[in-house]
Amino acid sequence: MSAHLTSEQISGWIAGDRTPDASRHIRECVQCRAEADRLDALLAEFRSSVIDWSALQEGAEAPGRWTLLARRRRSTGGMLRWKLAAAALAIAVAVPICKNTSDRQRAAEAFRADARLWEEVNTHVSRPVPTPLEPLMKLVAWEPDAGEK
Amino acid sequence: MQEALDSSRAELQDFDEVVRYHWQRVHRFILASVRDADAAQTLTQDCFLRAYSGRGAFRGQASIKTWLMQIAVNLVRDFGRNRRLQFWKRLRASAVNPGDIGDHLSDPGVSPEDQALRKEQVQIIWRASQSLPARQKTVFLLRFVEEMDLLEIASVTGLKEGTVKMHLFRALQAVREKLRRSK
Repeated sequence: MSAHLTSEQISGWIAGDRTPDASRHIRECVQCRAEADRLDALLAEFRSSVIDWSALQEGAEAPGRWTLLARRRRSTGGMLRWKLAAAALAIAVAVPICKNTSDRQRAAEAFRADARLWEEVNTHVSRPVPTPLEPLMKLVAWEPDAGEK
Repeated sequence: MQEALDSSRAELQDFDEVVRYHWQRVHRFILASVRDADAAQTLTQDCFLRAYSGRGAFRGQASIKTWLMQIAVNLVRDFGRNRRLQFWKRLRASAVNPGDIGDHLSDPGVSPEDQALRKEQVQIIWRASQSLPARQKTVFLLRFVEEMDLLEIASVTGLKEGTVKMHLFRALQAVREKLRRSK
């Protein structure tokens, strides 16, 4: 008989890589068969533990009349989809309106600012002397009625 | 062959029966994969809801079990990919306690020492399977918990049979390594 199967070969055999050579070796070699059986048994225990444990977990039992629940959930989902579509439509309509309103407000504000600036410029250029000299101008101002009095 | 297809389609007509028959298996696979009781419940419901919605498109080429497990595998994969869910998953109290798994050994007739050793080894396999890469874990659970053969696993996961075998081999090696280290 050939040398014992390696750990990789035993894992491969358990994983389903059952070549004729490996299968024959497992049949004939007590030590390798014991190792494969031990691993098989351990995995079987793991399986039964997971099955027993999961059966006790919340949600393991199938809900009764499931299709009824599913239809209700689907129709709720359908209503939700309609509601979402309506909300999206409302937003799609409202956003341009709001945008237009705010654009108009911005334009009006800009117009008012421009008007204020023009007014200031006009006032400034229509003055006879610069603003700092205005008090002096008051002192030398000719007032026609002042001499007669 | 045609009879099998017709039988699968006919079976789908009574969907409540399909749910009753397959629920535990689907729930068990999802729970063992995501290790979160609340998420497992939600994903199991989603799985059957998708199957119910898509039952018209079911052609009967695979068995109902395979078809449902395909949906379950996809849901588990999407759940794993969603990092936001992963974040919440870490915070959730519904994460299952890995210590529980060894309490459900099949043969209570063995000595307390053997019982303790087996419990420990089953817990090691449980923890080791948790730390496997996603595909290896899926293949490992489908093979050793759901007892699916390689071709069924290939059909459920959409992988080639050789790829399934490779993932299974690597998963087994990783689990055995953890078992060896514990000795």
